[in-house]
Amino acid sequence: MKLKEKLKGRGKHICFLVIVVILAFCPFLASSTSMVQFFGKCICYAIVAIALDLIWGYTGMLSLGHGIYFGLGGYAMAMYLRLRDNGGSLTDFMQTGGLKELPFFWKPFLHMPLALILVMLVPGVLAAVLGFFVFHSRIKGVYFSIITQALTWAAYSLFIANSKYTGGNNGITDFTSVFGSTRGTANRGNLMAMFFTALLVLVLIYILASFLVKSKFGKLLIAIRDGENRTYFSGYCVNNYKNFIYTLSAVLTAIGGALFVNFNGSITPSQMTISYSITMVIWVAVGGRGTIIGAVIGAFFINMCEYNLSSGALADIWQYIIGAIFCITILFFKGGIVGIVTEQIPAWIRRFGRKKEVV
Amino acid sequence: MAEKKENVLEIKHISVIFDGFKALTEVDINVKRHTIHFFIGPNGAGKTTLLDIICAKTKPTLGTVHFYPENRNKIRLTGMKEYKIANEGIGRKFQVPSVFVELTVKENMILSLKGHKGVWESIFYKLSREEEEHIMEVLKKVGLEERTDILAGSLAHGEKQWLEIAMQLVQKPEIIMLDEPAAGMGKPETFRTGELLKEIKKECTIIVVEHDMDFVKQIADTVTVLHEGKVLMEGNVTEALADKTVQAVYLGRGGERNADN
Repeated sequence: MKLKEKLKGRGKHICFLVIVVILAFCPFLASSTSMVQFFGKCICYAIVAIALDLIWGYTGMLSLGHGIYFGLGGYAMAMYLRLRDNGGSLTDFMQTGGLKELPFFWKPFLHMPLALILVMLVPGVLAAVLGFFVFHSRIKGVYFSIITQALTWAAYSLFIANSKYTGGNNGITDFTSVFGSTRGTANRGNLMAMFFTALLVLVLIYILASFLVKSKFGKLLIAIRDGENRTYFSGYCVNNYKNFIYTLSAVLTAIGGALFVNFNGSITPSQMTISYSITMVIWVAVGGRGTIIGAVIGAFFINMCEYNLSSGALADIWQYIIGAIFCITILFFKGGIVGIVTEQIPAWIRRFGRKKEVV
Repeated sequence: MAEKKENVLEIKHISVIFDGFKALTEVDINVKRHTIHFFIGPNGAGKTTLLDIICAKTKPTLGTVHFYPENRNKIRLTGMKEYKIANEGIGRKFQVPSVFVELTVKENMILSLKGHKGVWESIFYKLSREEEEHIMEVLKKVGLEERTDILAGSLAHGEKQWLEIAMQLVQKPEIIMLDEPAAGMGKPETFRTGELLKEIKKECTIIVVEHDMDFVKQIADTVTVLHEGKVLMEGNVTEALADKTVQAVYLGRGGERNADN
């Protein structure tokens, strides 16, 4: 029994290792640059999915507005890259907006170390402050989801309205990655460097998340999910725990967003929308919430479906297909893909085996 | 040095009003150290509300609750946060068994251990040998020592009740409050729970809300009868059962079956 449990625990890590190894070969086998960029983005999505799984799958708080943290991380990174490519001068949208000087909040993004810190600090502080008020007044369940959604909507509107500071609808565009341009065969080295940086970050975040989940802290998250009252009366200040994991989740999501813009070459407010935030939830649900590996699998699975379906014969209906997959998962396979492999299939095999014995 | 008082809990002039409805009116109760103290009464008498007041799940409109720990100064519980009260050594078992169903029996116990309740502490927490032994000792007491690695959700109803009692015990509390610990249990299980509580009484004070009169007779030291938010009478079991008004308001309502036994 114990041995089996141990193998089961390892199985998920082995599965992750396999994914990482396959990914590591991807850039060498991929036919085009855009394909490598696509897998790079998938890595970023996987990071976001892990972050979302920590608060939804483990702690039971469904955030429908993680796009805001993804966007903030993305914008912070994009501001630095844009300024670097510009040589520190005003961007086109600032000139169109009539600005004569770089706005004060753009100035820290002239320096790389500062920019990298702000990528994590801005979303982290926002999440911590929001979390403090929300969790202190014990707002939970659907009310929490609505607040996260409203906040994302507000941020989205704010970014569109202040186009001379943010680029408005177009966002920040036409910048190269941290390692320089990733386009074309001549810059393949840069693309590789970017790809493996992202992969390394994913591995580190996976290890961090697995460690947290395995610790007493992780068990407490599950305890909060299944019995918040009981947890309070066991002597834990639940709001502190919720705030901590929510803030951590926001920071990890922002890291995902910051890596993402390196592959995407632009960031727009559409990455901050509610629908984009809900897409993230779908990744986690389909992969299997409550397991770290499930989040990773879900992010890759859904995005690969999208990549293959959004062009070609099914281009018009691919969103319905994704929606259908989501509905079927929620209705029949609560554990997502991971649940199917670890619970449903063994159950079927057992049932099949039993029938055979009867015959 | 705190003087050692006979009372471990003093409930003074507690009144609770929910939207004009008086759930409790000027309730005064003293709970003596190392006794099993029952709150009984018909439905809606305010028993569970009283437990909620003690552990700060509900705020009283008027009145105070004071706790006299064995070797420390008295603590005013009214106005404290519930998790702080739990850390002061007052445990609570809910009416519906509320164990953490997705965690194993042992993990349930680990989370209930005294101390290490901060975020950082729990991230880097490692179970010590003494704590592990303590857990096993308590689990043995409630008869769950062989089920440590089973998910709490797959335990039988009675076992969940015992696990929740064990989760209170492992915190080394001074008071544990049990809301209907025998609910949904058969006769032999109820009796076993009673014997278990008698055993626990040596270490702490127990406050119980229960309907099963056999159970009350088996273990109660003191009984407080509540009726419509007021204290009707207080005394030992025989006195309570003999009291005419108690019979009229409580035992008359479906309690006869128990009273005749």
